[in-house]
Amino acid sequence: MSTSKSKSKPEAGPPAPSPALDPAEVDVSNRPAPRVGVLGAGAWGTTLAHLAAQATGSARLWCRRGEVCREIAETGKNAGYTGDVPLHAGLEPLADLKATVADADLIIVAVPSKGFRQVIVEIGGHVRGDQMVVSATKGFEVRTFTRMSEIVRQETCIRKIGVLSGPNLAAEIMDGQPTATVIASRFDEVFEASARGLMSKRFRVYGSHDVLGVELGGALKNVFAITAGFCDGLGFGANTKAALVTRGLAEMTRIATRLGGDPLTMLGLAGVGDLVVTCSSELSRNYRVGFHLAKGETLRSILKSRVTVAEGIRTAEAVTTHAREIGIDMPITEGVHRVLKGEVEPTAVLEELMGRPPRRREVDVLDASSPSRPVVGSS
Amino acid sequence: MRPCDRERAGVEIVRRIVDRAVAESERASASGARDPIEQTLEETAYLERLRLARRDADGDVASDRSFWRRINARLGSAGVDERRTMLAEVIARFAAEVTGNFNPWVYNLATSVLPVGMGVIFNAASPRLFLQNFPGLPSLTERVMIRGEVDTLRRLHDRGTVILAPTHVSNLDSIVIGWALHSMGLPPFIYGAGLNLFKNPMMSFFMNNLGAYKVDRKKQAPLYKQVLKEYATLTIELGYDNLFFPGGTRSRDGTVEQKLKLGLLGCGLRAYVNNLAANARRPNVYIFPCTLAFPLVLEAENLIEDHLEESGKARFIIEDDEFSQPRRWLSFVQNVLSMSMHITVRIGRPLDPFGNRVDAEGRSLDPKGRVIDPVRYVLVDGKPAELPQRDAEYTRELGASLSAAFARENVVHSTHMLAFCAFRMLARRNPGLDLYRLLRVEEDRAPTGFWAWVRGDDDGEEGGLSLPEVHREMDRLLERIRGLAAADRIQVDGRLDASDGATVADRALRAFGTYHSRPVLKRRGDRIYPQHMQLLYYYHNRLVGYGLERDERDQPIVVTHEAGRGVGAPPGNGGNGGGNGAGSSGRLPAASRAGGPAASPATSPTSDPGEARP
Repeated sequence: MSTSKSKSKPEAGPPAPSPALDPAEVDVSNRPAPRVGVLGAGAWGTTLAHLAAQATGSARLWCRRGEVCREIAETGKNAGYTGDVPLHAGLEPLADLKATVADADLIIVAVPSKGFRQVIVEIGGHVRGDQMVVSATKGFEVRTFTRMSEIVRQETCIRKIGVLSGPNLAAEIMDGQPTATVIASRFDEVFEASARGLMSKRFRVYGSHDVLGVELGGALKNVFAITAGFCDGLGFGANTKAALVTRGLAEMTRIATRLGGDPLTMLGLAGVGDLVVTCSSELSRNYRVGFHLAKGETLRSILKSRVTVAEGIRTAEAVTTHAREIGIDMPITEGVHRVLKGEVEPTAVLEELMGRPPRRREVDVLDASSPSRPVVGSS
Repeated sequence: MRPCDRERAGVEIVRRIVDRAVAESERASASGARDPIEQTLEETAYLERLRLARRDADGDVASDRSFWRRINARLGSAGVDERRTMLAEVIARFAAEVTGNFNPWVYNLATSVLPVGMGVIFNAASPRLFLQNFPGLPSLTERVMIRGEVDTLRRLHDRGTVILAPTHVSNLDSIVIGWALHSMGLPPFIYGAGLNLFKNPMMSFFMNNLGAYKVDRKKQAPLYKQVLKEYATLTIELGYDNLFFPGGTRSRDGTVEQKLKLGLLGCGLRAYVNNLAANARRPNVYIFPCTLAFPLVLEAENLIEDHLEESGKARFIIEDDEFSQPRRWLSFVQNVLSMSMHITVRIGRPLDPFGNRVDAEGRSLDPKGRVIDPVRYVLVDGKPAELPQRDAEYTRELGASLSAAFARENVVHSTHMLAFCAFRMLARRNPGLDLYRLLRVEEDRAPTGFWAWVRGDDDGEEGGLSLPEVHREMDRLLERIRGLAAADRIQVDGRLDASDGATVADRALRAFGTYHSRPVLKRRGDRIYPQHMQLLYYYHNRLVGYGLERDERDQPIVVTHEAGRGVGAPPGNGGNGGGNGAGSSGRLPAASRAGGPAASPATSPTSDPGEARP
């Protein structure tokens, strides 16, 4: 087409592209507030319900265990998970799962990845196509390498599915400290409802269409949190940790790109954002698992002393298995997995990683030619 | 379409598109941006003038030229209102072209004329010859087998509006489908056909009978595509069943299409939402995937040649292929008759506009088979309404469901199996060869004509494939395909059911010996020789994408279409702009290429198409 603009008449050239109709910011303040139902009364679920109640005035929280439900109703606290912080008065704990989802516009799921499908199966017959589900769970179904958003799609009629991830330590949020998160969904409605339903002066929400990238980033950072724990546990300093976590980011980006995600997502809150937390915070559960392993404790004894779940353990297994199957090089993830299985010591993994042959190019995933080239077996 | 509806459609198309444009224009002026209507007019004028400058422009070129000269002259000084008037004029002109070519007289007669029309093709391929042979029509029911959800299609046709979405193999597809619909007792479906089909004298006769309207694919203006989509939407709203080819064009390489054009597909959802908003009596829209399987394909040689020429430069519209040559039709029809081959039309399980499965009563089901209320998907503040971003996403998911259905409902014929088997055996024997080189090498080896005579049978050891070995491979393949069929991942032609590999191979060899300019495979003694590698590759491709090519003895081969990888163009962009549907890269991996003896610079001819590509 460009060849035919011979005459210099102004209208002869190809017309200018229309200005971007998509504004970077959306005003959601005048939208009706969604009725939010949160499934899972662990630290993260309770925190999200608390945020939703702050943003909309009320929120329902489904608690699997009756005593947690009673405790919240009676004391206004969830001592086992969010400590002493008084929960928002509009937060209504429910023991009935069906009732929690029945009239919710926005259902946020924050149960451990292990029990995720079970909960979704239970609500499958009670949800409708106009409802939205946002997964705040980080991890995969180990056996099938299925993502949480995929489970929702497989088990229910719901299409408006989103995932939430970011540098969001529950304890700091409950403490009222400001932070941000990213909500990824193919449907803009999900982002808008979530923004309206969760955002406040202390909690900022960004949107994305890259569901896979955000979900992978959120899940994988738990694995690299364990490596950060190794570093501190072994007494290494900032250099070691920064190098390991950055190479972790490279692994994260490699697999996300390969599976169809956007590499740039990893530069966002669900990638770098969450990794920075991992490096610097001792509050992270996964970090503590790594730290204590490096100190010589066994995984069994570490897990026995905690109520919360360290998702990085299951994620390391799921990702290692899947990455081997599809031929993606993920040495750090695999190393963590082997330590968790008790096969090697953290020091041995670090030595192995340092002993790999030098890489010609540090950053290869952004190279346009690499993802499209078919991966051939061994050459 | 009934004349009253046609008039209404013309008016309604203009109204809807202008309304949308005006709303957008007002938003733009509120934010101080340039008037989008002005841009649309300039863009349309520009693209139309480019088209009219082409030597092969279709339609009334002189009248179009003077129309656009007048628009251009007015555009410079036009104010806001004037521009809106001009926009309405342009849309009305496009709309008249699209709706006006629909012949209601033919539509009414179609039901009675159609079977005779089909007889013409399958008997003599010429109306004159047909008339001579009129009394002795063989039964078409023996040539076209209709399988699958026929009863459901009939039932849902009464409960809502149906969109039939077939795979696209050949230009004969629409005729075969026309006949199939008739024999199922359904009226003709409305169908937007490229102008090139109408230029073919034989085809144009049937096109009108099928309820076809004309689509000028050389008109690239987005505004024109909007008119086409609005027209399709309206016909669905008015209760006319539609025929869409979601692949957009005939499959060039013979694969079952996995990359779909979503533009037209989205019309079903829009019509559904409009129906709900208007409280229509029968708002539901049902999409039926459909596969066509030809043992031999009329235009196969031209299609695959076009694909291999250079995937990127493949032509979207081909006007000079076998399809435009009456002699090839005659040969095709005669061969199909004499070989007692048959064509399979398979109707898949219906979908709703969101890609959910629908039961026999027309109710949408969730992935676990529970009945759901699809209206919920399109509620905005409690009322059904359009929402472009959301709806594009639903349409993308519908596209994914359709792609999966196409693969599942694909019907395997003996020719596909033998081609697959032989091609894989040849590829295994030439490890490390680039596809393009493989296509040349194996054909060169085949003894034909003078050299076959000179060399006699001694040469047989070098080239060709041993028939007993082929039979063993066919048995293996048959077993694997039956396994897939049992898992509902593919369909097997009825006559393959009780056959063994040797019988299937034999039947395919006979079919391959007919119709095409030279046999695809030729038997000499107990060996078979590829005589037309491109066609062998083409027919083989029908079975690619099922994991059948993953054989422990095979080199990793990258000739698969990328199933599941993003369905088609970005939704909303839509239309049938560009693209050729040619998904596969057709290359063997670079690493394995280096080893082959033919890859050494000294022996490789510079004209090799494989070499020319980076």
